[in-house]
Amino acid sequence: MRRSTLAVFGVVVALVGSGCGSTATPPLESSASENAPPLTSAAGVPSAPPQVGTLLPVSIAGGTVTPTNAEATAVAGEPITLEVNSDASDSIHVHSIPEHVFEVQARPGQRFEFTVEVPGQVDVELHDLNRTIVTITVRPR
Amino acid sequence: MSEAGETVLAHGVGGSTDLPIPLNYALVGGVWALILTFAVVAVAWRTPKFDPAKPGRALPGWVTTAVDSRPVRSILAAAALLVTVWVGIAAIWGPQNADNALPGSFYVLLWVGLVAVSVLLGPVWRVISPVRTLWGLLGGKRTGHPPRGYPQRWGYWPAAAGLFAFVWLELASPDPGSLGAIKLWILAYAIAMFAGAAVFGSRWFARADPFEVYSMTVSRLAPLRRNTATGRIVVGNPLDHLPTLPVRPGTVAVMAVLLGSTAFDSFSGFTGFRNFVDRNAAGVPLVGEAGGGSAIRTVGLLVFVAVVGVTFSAAARATGGVTREQRRELPGRLAHCLIPIVVGYIFAHYLSYLVERGQETVVRLADPLGAGWQLFGLDSGDVVYVLSLNPTLLWTIKVACVVAGHVVGVLAAHDQALRVIPVGHQLTGQLAMMLVMVAYTLTGLYLLFGG
Repeated sequence: MRRSTLAVFGVVVALVGSGCGSTATPPLESSASENAPPLTSAAGVPSAPPQVGTLLPVSIAGGTVTPTNAEATAVAGEPITLEVNSDASDSIHVHSIPEHVFEVQARPGQRFEFTVEVPGQVDVELHDLNRTIVTITVRPR
Repeated sequence: MSEAGETVLAHGVGGSTDLPIPLNYALVGGVWALILTFAVVAVAWRTPKFDPAKPGRALPGWVTTAVDSRPVRSILAAAALLVTVWVGIAAIWGPQNADNALPGSFYVLLWVGLVAVSVLLGPVWRVISPVRTLWGLLGGKRTGHPPRGYPQRWGYWPAAAGLFAFVWLELASPDPGSLGAIKLWILAYAIAMFAGAAVFGSRWFARADPFEVYSMTVSRLAPLRRNTATGRIVVGNPLDHLPTLPVRPGTVAVMAVLLGSTAFDSFSGFTGFRNFVDRNAAGVPLVGEAGGGSAIRTVGLLVFVAVVGVTFSAAARATGGVTREQRRELPGRLAHCLIPIVVGYIFAHYLSYLVERGQETVVRLADPLGAGWQLFGLDSGDVVYVLSLNPTLLWTIKVACVVAGHVVGVLAAHDQALRVIPVGHQLTGQLAMMLVMVAYTLTGLYLLFGG
C-alpha cells in the first residue's frame, strides 16, 4: 500500500514537474483476440462473418483451467466468444449485466457466444474449480 | 443451500464491476489534491474557525416538531421493521439463488444506502433500527435499570468488531453471496444485539450496533444538525458539525475499518493479488482451498485496516509541545477529520452499486418470492444503468468525491490542529497528518485506477 502510494506520488510529481498535460489513454487497447492463436472453426460454418469482437480460448484439463485471472478487453454490444476445450463438465458463470451461465461438457471445441451491453469489468468464473478464468474489461461503444 | 447460492459473486451481488478510472483522471485528481492541500497549509488561518456551538440557520419550527414527534418516529420505525420483515420473507421463501433480494438489500441498500441517507439527513439508524424497535416492542425499554452499566472503556470497540465482521463477510469470507452465510451473519448480529441490550440496556445499541455507529459517524458530515442550545434542527456548515463526533475508545478503529476495508475491496480485485490467493490457498493448513483463500483475504483485510489505524494514529501523535497524556488523546481528537475521506471514498467506490444494484434490488423486492408479481409495475427492464453507460460521468464523480472528501478532511484537520496542538508547534505538528491524508487519497486514486 505504501509503495504503491509512493509510486503514484512519484508519477504525479514527475508529471507536474515536466508540465505534462497528460492525455494518456489507458494502455488496454489490445484485444484478446489479437493474442489468441488463429482458430480454424472446426464446424466449418459456411456463412461465418469476419471475426468481430473478442475470442477467448479456454482449456480445462486434469483439474486445472488455463488461463486463470487473465485480462481481456471487449466492446459493449460486440460478441465475445469462449472457445472451450474441456475434459470435465463444469459451468462457466459470466458476471455481466445480466449474468450468463454456460454448461461445459467434457469435450473439445465448445463455443459459447454472448454480448455484454452494459460496460464494466466482467469476471468469467469456472464454478466447480472455483477459479476466475478472465476479467473482461468491456468498454462502451 | 442451492447450487447457485454457492457461486462466488463479487461483493455477493454478482454482475460486473466498475471500469477502472483512466490514468489521466487519477493524475488530475492527485494533482488537485496536492495543490489544494498546499493551498490550505499556505493560507493557514491562525485561529480555529469551525465550532459546533455556532447556531446555524434554523429551519422552520415544524421541522423540529416533526423530527421529535413520537408518532412520526414510530411510523418510521414501523416502516423500517416492515421492510426488514419483507426482506426476511424474501430471504426465507424467495428463490434460493442469485435472484434473491437478500444480498442486494444487505450489501447495497443497507451498507451503502445507510451512508447516503445518514450523510444527508443525520443519524437515522437510531430511529429506524429494527433491533431497537423489536427491543422496545419486547418491553426492553420498560424494565428500568439494566443489570449493569455499559463499561466506558469499551467505547465503540464492539461496533468496530461488528463492522469488521460485516466487511469480512463481504470481502474475505469463502462465499459472500451465499444466502446461508448472510442469514447466519444476521442471526449472529441479532443475538449479539439482544444479548448485549439485556445486560447493558439500550446504550448497547448506541455503542455496539455496527450500523448505528456507522450511521452516527457519517452523519457528522450532514448539513443538518441540532442546535444543542435551542434544540432546533438547523442547516449549517458540515465543518462545524464534524467535531461533534464523540471521542471514545474505538473511534479511530471504526474509521480504520471503514477506510481500510474499502481500499482492500479495490486491492483484492488486482490480478496479482488474485494470483497470489490462487497459488497459496491450498497451502493453508486445516481449512481446505476455499477456506485457505478466505484466510489469506482475511489477513489482507486486517493488514489494510491496521495500516490505516496505525498511520493515522502515528501522524496524529507526531507533534511537539504536548505532554504524554495529551499525545495519547490526539488520535481520537482528530478522528473526525477522517469522516469526509471515508465518505468520499465510499461514494467513489460504491455509488454505481447504490444507484444500479439498488434499482435491481428494489425490482427483486417487488417480487420477493420469485413468483412474477411485479408490484408497482416494476420489472428488470426498468433498471437504468445510467452510470455504467456513461463511464466519463462516473469517473468524474469518483474523482470529485475522492478529492472533495480529501479537501474537507484537510480543512477539518488544519482547524482542529489549531485547537489541540500548542502554539509554536501548530504548523509542524500537522505536517504528518497532511502527508498521511495525501497518502490515503493518492492510494485511493491509484486503487480506483486499478494498478
